[in-house]
Amino acid sequence: MTATIGSNVPRFELDLFSDENLTDPYPIYARFRAAGPVVYLPAIDAYVLSRYDDVRAGLGDHETFISGRGIGLSDEGNATRKGVIIASDNPLHDQLRSVLSERLSPKAMNVIRAEISEKAEALVAGVVARTSFDAVTDLAQAFPLTIVADLIGLPAADRLRLLEWADAGFNLWGPRNERNIRSLPVWAGLIDYIVTQATRDKLTPGSMGAAIYEAADRGVISHDQCPALFVSYLVAGVDTTINAIGNAVAYFAEFPDQWDMLREKPNLIPSAFEEILRIDAPLQLVRRYCVRDVEVGGSPIPADSNVVLIYASGNHDERKFPDPTRFDVTRNPVDHLTFGYGLHGCAGQALARLEAHAIFRALAKRVERFTTGIPVRRLNNVMRGLEHLPVTVR
Amino acid sequence: MKVALDRKRCEGHGMCETAAPELFTLDEAGELIAHFDGRTIPAELEEAARDAVRVCPVAALTIEEEA
Repeated sequence: MTATIGSNVPRFELDLFSDENLTDPYPIYARFRAAGPVVYLPAIDAYVLSRYDDVRAGLGDHETFISGRGIGLSDEGNATRKGVIIASDNPLHDQLRSVLSERLSPKAMNVIRAEISEKAEALVAGVVARTSFDAVTDLAQAFPLTIVADLIGLPAADRLRLLEWADAGFNLWGPRNERNIRSLPVWAGLIDYIVTQATRDKLTPGSMGAAIYEAADRGVISHDQCPALFVSYLVAGVDTTINAIGNAVAYFAEFPDQWDMLREKPNLIPSAFEEILRIDAPLQLVRRYCVRDVEVGGSPIPADSNVVLIYASGNHDERKFPDPTRFDVTRNPVDHLTFGYGLHGCAGQALARLEAHAIFRALAKRVERFTTGIPVRRLNNVMRGLEHLPVTVR
Repeated sequence: MKVALDRKRCEGHGMCETAAPELFTLDEAGELIAHFDGRTIPAELEEAARDAVRVCPVAALTIEEEA
């Protein structure tokens, strides 16, 4: 490590995961991008990639920047993800992914498209009828929680617990700070739940949860691998979509001209969702482990080092997205980094799009204007979103 | 220029079809049909082909430049 610090890689003596910086990380990302292709953060002993092309190339090079040594910044957190798909390299990754993609690929979505659309219409009609509601708890959380829990086949009573577990799971991606440490026992509760309560006999027949065990019966995976796949379903599909929908309402309220455009041209809804994902990525970053000496943009990264790839910074890179802080529903930035890219590209992105498009369509039919009260932000080590967003609609 | 499709990676997200409908189509079952699989892309479609490769979220498409 010390050998390379002598080189001209800029160092930043800051805590990326402090309350202040999590509240608004974008000015720091801009400093990283301006400083060079690679910067070094001594506080977490990690090299950071912050420019679009570099983040994307790094994600695409899964043989140099591996995931199997952990995708988080603490040993304790990484230990909780042993054998989980996102922290696996090949051949294990592809073996696990085949079980997920069989149920999550766009063609698998065709079966549930109509049902998700109906559920979105019913939920949105209900909250809009109340005129004032909390866009996070009543809408953004309520929808993915129901959809995901139904798809996994979880008993109804257990659903709200998913929120606490997802929050803990993402705090455990961060460094060993207070948020990380307090999440360990919560995570232990999730594992206990999977092993002792969400057992095979409790899952809805035909559900994605049941399919995990059926894949083990067929020998695609071993029965020992079932809990790790269950973790992916429980954690990956909840907070991510929730924050995207919550962020969307906040942006639609702040930029009424953009909302008017969507109402006028609902065929812009897919583009608008990609723009929501680009402008404020729910999952901000990921860690990889660099296994060989490489250069990124002429800056060296030594073998056996931590590398942090900041999706949210790449999404704001002015080299890639002109005027990156401007919210523009016509931009259609389909190659944003919010779903990652390449081998570990989000397996649930088709479901996320399906859910969000259905909610946006339902809102566009019924809401002319959103007026928001004071939003409350929820701070998490890697997950960015709101805890509450009071909204009044007409 | 050719575009190689790694069928094992392709999950049918359909971004390539949007970027280059002349080159890629999803059939009714959601399987990707690569119209120029193994063949040289016509010059006028090269830009669309590069777009398609760029937008594939799982990196199932790669460009093969010919000598």
